Amino acid sequence: MKHRGLILGGLFSILLTFIFLMPPAAAAQKGTLVVALDSLGGQNMDPILEGRASHAHFQAPMYDSLVGFNFEKGGIGPGVAERWELAKDGLSWTFFIRKGQKWHNGDPLTAHDVKFSLERTMSKESVASRSAALRRNVKNIEVIDDHTVRINTNGVQVHFPASMSRAVFQEGQMMPKKYIEKVGAAEFRKNPIGSGPWKFVKSVPGDRVEYEAVDYPHWRGKPSFKRMHILLVPEESTRVAMVRTGEAAIASISPEAIKEVEAAKLKMISVPATMQAVYYLWGTYRPDQKDNPVADIRVRQALSLAIDRQQIIDHVMNGKASLPMPFATFGYSVDTDTERWREWTRKAFRYDPKRAKELLTEAGYPNGFDLKFANTALPGTPYMVQIGLTVADFWSKIGVNIKYKHYEWGAFRALRRGQKELKGAASMYRTAGRPIAVARYTSGFMSKSLSHLFGNTKKGMNLCDELCQSFDKLSLEVVQARDPGVRAERTNRMIEMVANSWVAVPIIEGMGYWAINPKIVGAFNPIPGRHEFGDVFERMPRADQKAWR
Amino acid sequence: MRRYILQRLWQGVILLVLVTTIVFFLGRLTGNPADLMLPEDATEEDRQALIETLGLDAPIHEQFIIFISNAVRGDLGDSHRYRTPVVEIFFSRLPNTLMIVPAAMILAILMAVPLGILSALRRGGLIDKFSGTIAVLGIATPNFWLGMVLIYVFSVQLGWLPSARMGGFEHYVLPTITLGTFLVAGFMRLIRSSMLDILDSEFVKLARIKGMSETTVVWKHCLRNALIPVLTLWGVFMGGLVTGAIVTETVFAWPGIGRLTYEAVIFRDYPLLQAVILMDALLILLINLMVDILYAYIDPRIRLAE
Repeated sequence: MKHRGLILGGLFSILLTFIFLMPPAAAAQKGTLVVALDSLGGQNMDPILEGRASHAHFQAPMYDSLVGFNFEKGGIGPGVAERWELAKDGLSWTFFIRKGQKWHNGDPLTAHDVKFSLERTMSKESVASRSAALRRNVKNIEVIDDHTVRINTNGVQVHFPASMSRAVFQEGQMMPKKYIEKVGAAEFRKNPIGSGPWKFVKSVPGDRVEYEAVDYPHWRGKPSFKRMHILLVPEESTRVAMVRTGEAAIASISPEAIKEVEAAKLKMISVPATMQAVYYLWGTYRPDQKDNPVADIRVRQALSLAIDRQQIIDHVMNGKASLPMPFATFGYSVDTDTERWREWTRKAFRYDPKRAKELLTEAGYPNGFDLKFANTALPGTPYMVQIGLTVADFWSKIGVNIKYKHYEWGAFRALRRGQKELKGAASMYRTAGRPIAVARYTSGFMSKSLSHLFGNTKKGMNLCDELCQSFDKLSLEVVQARDPGVRAERTNRMIEMVANSWVAVPIIEGMGYWAINPKIVGAFNPIPGRHEFGDVFERMPRADQKAWR
Repeated sequence: MRRYILQRLWQGVILLVLVTTIVFFLGRLTGNPADLMLPEDATEEDRQALIETLGLDAPIHEQFIIFISNAVRGDLGDSHRYRTPVVEIFFSRLPNTLMIVPAAMILAILMAVPLGILSALRRGGLIDKFSGTIAVLGIATPNFWLGMVLIYVFSVQLGWLPSARMGGFEHYVLPTITLGTFLVAGFMRLIRSSMLDILDSEFVKLARIKGMSETTVVWKHCLRNALIPVLTLWGVFMGGLVTGAIVTETVFAWPGIGRLTYEAVIFRDYPLLQAVILMDALLILLINLMVDILYAYIDPRIRLAE
């Protein structure tokens, strides 16, 4: 009996020791985070084979990027490289790699992997969205030591580090040199490994991608869930139903579903400043359009004043949108005087149909005019069609006779190339939330760009007036200005030039919308400007860890 | 019969070549996949580079010759979007569709055959009116709406069945009902009208005069004859469903052939589109051939006529 007491006491002590040594249950990784998405793109797990934004949903969990995010403000921040610096001559960038990083097979992540990854992304095989730009901008890559890599550029590339962040593009994603060289590209595509907080488990094309959380601390955060399944569920009402029943914890939604989500007492997250819905006026510089009303800047301004943006925000976007800043400019845009532009847009984007009518009269169109309007919606933003229809209605109210035509996005993009059918016409467009505005400006307005909204010097054309020439010059200065003060000054001038032209006019600043089951996922913050959650999943607590207020 | 099958197969080959050629050229009129794969601010240089990587920089007739020469060797190319062999993608999705379509067909036949026969036998009666209502509703109800209602009632409100996706037996219930409802209506009305025609025919009257039981008259003489037009409709529906159950597959997040075809069109994934349509055409040809053979089995007159 004496021994029995001792044994019981011993067992009790052991039990107590275990209880104290074990991490609290809430801190352990458990459960499966199920995410329902409208698209998984090509569902390629090899970073060089995916060219569209959905990579930021399903590749981001397992791959780290050379440059990361600023999680609080949006824009870029430390990533695989904890810091980077521009050489004095401006012709190279040195990246300092964070120590202690490892691949999912345990190999260390070094500067050799960085060089290998970038060279792989630049290869001919790569369909990554900006691989050609990388080939153009990078002269060569040198490994200085295991934790330092130098990238020599062709000319000064002040925004190069930003292009290595998923906040801008996908080209900075890191791939394991040793593993790929050992198993080959084909095997890597079937069984990829990365260095991110989630390990790849399985990909079922057209259905889902499965992951398992890493069980060690990661600089992006250690996941609270043990597993994650990202599902492709194309129909929105089904996604919402799955969140309601608990079959999914999170689902991407559009503004139309907001009321249903709120009525179902689900949590709704709106990621701020993920896009701008804009309209373009095409070919206004062309000599054959000189008699077109939209060639007159007063008419162009009148079209903007005729739009009641607040009505669109309240009724089309269900209140989950805001007044935009100038074209492709957001609160987190770098080198941008955001306060100045917020103030500017408050006045410039006001609803003033009376002044709009006056401007039309001054321009010689008191009874309005005919305007071709090509409506379209970019992938992931079907509500653009409704915005376009509303804009057309507002224009009709000031006497503009809209010749409306709807285009499927693929057909519209083809139309944009020749621009024959778009001459002097208006169209809907969208620009995604990115911290570096200049890329959007150069691709939209430079005379050799695809959209070339200010002039055209492509294929022997010589349609580039003073505004066009000034813009071409200025945009080159922006990308080469090493002095931050000069760069900011040039960037703001570039924004001003486009804003005052009324050729590409923002309608609303949109958000990314998500329905969340608060019984499964706890409170978390998205990254401003980043609709996709691929870099956020590991920061999502379970409901038992952090409740929503 | 063998000669007949061989003749049909030869016609099928010609049809497949025609379909392939038309799809190859028409598909390319609708735009370039590079435009859809690149971000909005991609440059002309980015676009050209991608076009070269995708092998779309050669003249169209050269692309066609390459495609045909590869196709006869069984290589239909790699998907632009998925970057994997299109045949592999097609066959990874086909089983998913082949699980749901026969289930819907079985449901349709199990419901339509008895209801169609009873409606014809009790013409103007309560069952006839009831099945008529079911038929009108089944044909008029849009698939996607029915699917959403079923999800709302049985998944969201009652919690009895999963909302979507493939899985165990319970995952098949709602998609099967959604897909099968339209078929029930179609089959039922066709069986009813065929039965009415046959019930009124001379040979049925003779059978009755000869004293045959009503069960024998209905099940042996009438139904067998009534099934001939049903079989035709079955062939048409089967082919259509395998390739075109897009709505049901979308609502229930079912990764089948219908959705794959839709994605290939939307993303201008030429190799995938060509492969999917070629395979679909092949499937439809085989189904039709099967239907023709079954005709001969059900109605010996067809065999004798040959």
